[in-house]
Amino acid sequence: MHAAVHRLLAGSGLIASHEDDAAQARVRPGLVACEECDAVYSRRALSGGDVARCTRCGAVLGRGRWLSVDGQLALAVAALIVFAMGNVADIVTLDLRGVHAAVTLHESITATWTAGEHVVALLTAATAFAFPLTVILLRLYVLAPLAAGRRARGFVPAVRALRWVTRWSMVEVFMFGTLVAIVKSAGLATVLPGVGIYSYAALTLLLAAIQSSGLHSLWQRASELPSWP
Amino acid sequence: MAVTERSIATALPTAAAMGLLGCECCGLVCEAGPGALRCPRCQFRLHARKPDSLERTTAYLLAAAVLYVPANTLPIMGTSSVVFGHEQHTIIGGIVELWHSGSWGLALIVLVASIVVPILKIAALSLLAFTAHRRSRWRQAERASLYRLLEAVGHWSMLDVFVVVLLVGMVRFGAFASVEPSVGLLAFGAVVVATMLASASFDPRLIWPDSTDHD
Repeated sequence: MHAAVHRLLAGSGLIASHEDDAAQARVRPGLVACEECDAVYSRRALSGGDVARCTRCGAVLGRGRWLSVDGQLALAVAALIVFAMGNVADIVTLDLRGVHAAVTLHESITATWTAGEHVVALLTAATAFAFPLTVILLRLYVLAPLAAGRRARGFVPAVRALRWVTRWSMVEVFMFGTLVAIVKSAGLATVLPGVGIYSYAALTLLLAAIQSSGLHSLWQRASELPSWP
Repeated sequence: MAVTERSIATALPTAAAMGLLGCECCGLVCEAGPGALRCPRCQFRLHARKPDSLERTTAYLLAAAVLYVPANTLPIMGTSSVVFGHEQHTIIGGIVELWHSGSWGLALIVLVASIVVPILKIAALSLLAFTAHRRSRWRQAERASLYRLLEAVGHWSMLDVFVVVLLVGMVRFGAFASVEPSVGLLAFGAVVVATMLASASFDPRLIWPDSTDHD
């Protein structure tokens, strides 16, 4: 059972598989290869706000750090607080001739599940709740030791999981979805936006700020630690 | 001037031509070897190109194109209320309703997210996969920008799924008014996931074939 789960995770690229005999490659730390067209450049230090682009295809090769590890950590803590608020508080309250109905994200997902659309309920639970939460928790898990100059235990699988889960986290789309849902139901009842939607709006901004630095800088930073193997 | 820039740009050395491999996960550049290699920093499998990129992209695209039909013809939600009785709503119907209610901005956003983006993704990725298969050098810089655009807007199609799930949770007034999700929503969600998997499978380095690429 455990071996099967391990194979599944390794196959999806979430964790490293050591079962095969692939050798470790030799490193050329002075070079950068464009991820989108394979053009090779020599690595150069960038100052904050600078963006290096590939001259051939225009892809971003790297960005100067405008947020320190401490700054990223602070934003991740803020994101966790706001995320908790967004999930505990009501997203909207509907007032239909005196009958009040307050809705949280979880109630919407549960109602969709109960209505028989299990896959859609799971998809929403994953992309609007579980994946964003995982993004925040993994960031905190990796950044907190890094701020203290240490590398988290399991840094490699954690950041690889972070790469995957960031792609499928859709907080900003969910926030916009809430706006559309409010407008659509406005003809039926009086709709009052709740704390939940403001929290999700703040979460959108915080996650965008945290993710703007990308994961390459995290790898780079961690590999510069003296404790890196 | 532009011509000069272009000729310099196309003369750039590539990792594949130099016997190097750029790690897709952490960006480290490593020396290629005779056997299979792992990135020493993040343990990701190193390859010059994503394995079976075009085959996997095509498979996900076909799935998305097939599912696109039920996603748009079947209702994504049903509403029932004492005033209007039972009604079934498709994606396009929902956009028309928003438009008539005067929310033109939102109608436009939903139109772009639910109709334009999925079609654009399927059509554009088909074009990218086809030209990459032909190892075409036609408008490479534009194709590279197109790929970046697809990656940036891809997940916005999820909008309508969230809208219905929220309405199902919000509008629960029993016999007076209620909203139920319908099967079309499942198909639509599957289209979004399939197109996201398709663009994740596509390797943009295939837009820039070099001497090391062969069929």
